[in-house]
Amino acid sequence: MSGALKDAVGSYKQRDWPKHLVVWFFILIELFPLYMMMQVSFKDNSSFIQNPWAPSPPFSVTETLRLPDGTEEVKTRVAGWSEVFGAAKPSDPELVTGATKQFDLGVYRVENWGYGLKLIGPYIANTVFVAVTGTVVSLFLAIMAAYFFARYKMPFGSVLWSAFIILMLLPGVANIVPLFSLLKSLSLLNTLWALIIVGIAGAQVFNIFVLRNFIEDLPKDLFEAAEMDGASHFQQIMNVVIPMSGPIIGTLSILAFLGKWNDFLLPLIVLRDKELFTLGVGLIYLDGEYVKQWGQIMAAYFIASIPLIVIFLFCMKLFVRGLSAGAVKG
Amino acid sequence: MAFPISRQKALREWKLYFFVIPSLVMVLTFSYFPAISAIYHSFFDWAGGETKQLIGLDNFKRAFGDDVLWNSFITVSVLIVFNLFKMIPSIIMAVLIHRIKSERWGYFYRAMLVVPMIVPSLVTLFIWKFFFDPNLGVLNNVLDFTGLKSLLVNIDQFFGWGVFLPDVPIGWLSQPELILPALFIWGFPWIGAVGVLIYLAGLQAIGQEVYEAAELDGVGPFKKFLYIELPLILTQVRLSLVLLIISTLQGYGLQLLLLGDSGGPGGRGMVPGLWMYNRAFIAGEFGYACSIGMILFVFILALTFINNKYVRVEK
Repeated sequence: MSGALKDAVGSYKQRDWPKHLVVWFFILIELFPLYMMMQVSFKDNSSFIQNPWAPSPPFSVTETLRLPDGTEEVKTRVAGWSEVFGAAKPSDPELVTGATKQFDLGVYRVENWGYGLKLIGPYIANTVFVAVTGTVVSLFLAIMAAYFFARYKMPFGSVLWSAFIILMLLPGVANIVPLFSLLKSLSLLNTLWALIIVGIAGAQVFNIFVLRNFIEDLPKDLFEAAEMDGASHFQQIMNVVIPMSGPIIGTLSILAFLGKWNDFLLPLIVLRDKELFTLGVGLIYLDGEYVKQWGQIMAAYFIASIPLIVIFLFCMKLFVRGLSAGAVKG
Repeated sequence: MAFPISRQKALREWKLYFFVIPSLVMVLTFSYFPAISAIYHSFFDWAGGETKQLIGLDNFKRAFGDDVLWNSFITVSVLIVFNLFKMIPSIIMAVLIHRIKSERWGYFYRAMLVVPMIVPSLVTLFIWKFFFDPNLGVLNNVLDFTGLKSLLVNIDQFFGWGVFLPDVPIGWLSQPELILPALFIWGFPWIGAVGVLIYLAGLQAIGQEVYEAAELDGVGPFKKFLYIELPLILTQVRLSLVLLIISTLQGYGLQLLLLGDSGGPGGRGMVPGLWMYNRAFIAGEFGYACSIGMILFVFILALTFINNKYVRVEK
């Protein structure tokens, strides 16, 4: 869009800066949780309570305390921002006899990240296993089924098609209770396979719907040429359909991966053993701890976001497009 | 469109059916079977095991006399109203970004909107839970800092609610009266990146001559929104409205994590889905849970039907 064209959108008389101001206001609030997560992850609980908002300054204060029983004790704490530019203020005027301030990078608790990784690493590994296996298999099955619907009008094809499409309209809210007993009788409770299989089944309808439309739009000559060369249907899928539908497969994979990453309801019901927890249940479990080390927990939260950051960096375009497509369907 | 195929050729291509069978089996087992099983078991007294007893419509009779269920429907209606209100900032945001003249800034803002989405939704939820913390939480600190807390206390004393007390930290998630307000505040400033991007796509379809004509007629910024921009994104707004209502009606993950499986103190955050979850997995009344699910199912199905019939989405 050219600049002149864009100019006509706003009024000529209207100034631009109030809009920028409002947008910035909203965006800063939106980014605030991210900021809190980042800065708290470098603190321990005491410095967090002392100064919850801003990152700690790179200074620490060493105080000598004379306790009421006459013994002396030396304590080191993180400096407050007001102490960075002025003198160190004793934390307890009656007891502190001397305080020195020094430059100290040790106030940033990098070890929180180590603990965080230890807390959440296994859950991430489980989630990656579930998400990757589920996404790959479900897309593969969906491509095959979509090929069936897109290639020929087979007898009973429309009946089968409506069997899939009706599910788009039916709310799945009542399913969870019988699903639980079904998984129980298949003795899949407390396994990751339950999540994978249910995930594959749940993703079929939407994926087949999208892929069928896409495959039907592929040039028919390609299929005919492949058939002339003696390619079986499976070979046509491998050599024509999959190479031609890269972008749509990418979009669907991202959507599926995101869905798995954020899922917690089914894992919460299905999983019992701590070793099998996926990210969702793992985070709930962390939240239930009685004494919380906020720094470690925030570091763990951040680590949980890293795979999404990687995806985000590499496929921003697909990400945005995929989200729009997903939102239209719900 | 798919090729038409003659009967003889279809017979020769019978192997093609194997392509659809895996998906079909999956869907039949994990989507159709549970749905039918839910209908079937809603007529039984069933604790999830082998033994079950046919009790006819007793589950439904019980549901109609169940105060918790009715209150949960009231709660969910309130939540739907809240969520309708929460759609407004996204629309405002989209219009503002659309009206910004500099294209580079427009793109930058769009990218910034997507950035919070890299945080898994569950993490966002727990960070919000932490914001609500009475002592350490951001919300109470902001209220104290800005002096809004004393205003709230004064209002409280004037009306005699006994909710906001001086020198007592506000327990957003532990005081029954505050559960719904907390659910309202949750997610402030309520901007969904997806929604904004979709609205922006709709807004981009407005041609400049429309704006120029409006300019000549001396139309102000608010009227411009009302007569030019809103009609253009009305399709998207209606669509997200319907999806929002349906997802609010059947959702209970937020309440489960924020308030626990009994809907928080006083059960004020209880929604129908959560009550179903509670009956099945806490009380072990699977049959009754199935019938609650069926009632909810009928509600949502009716909404979907109304949606398909009256809210047309033009492509």
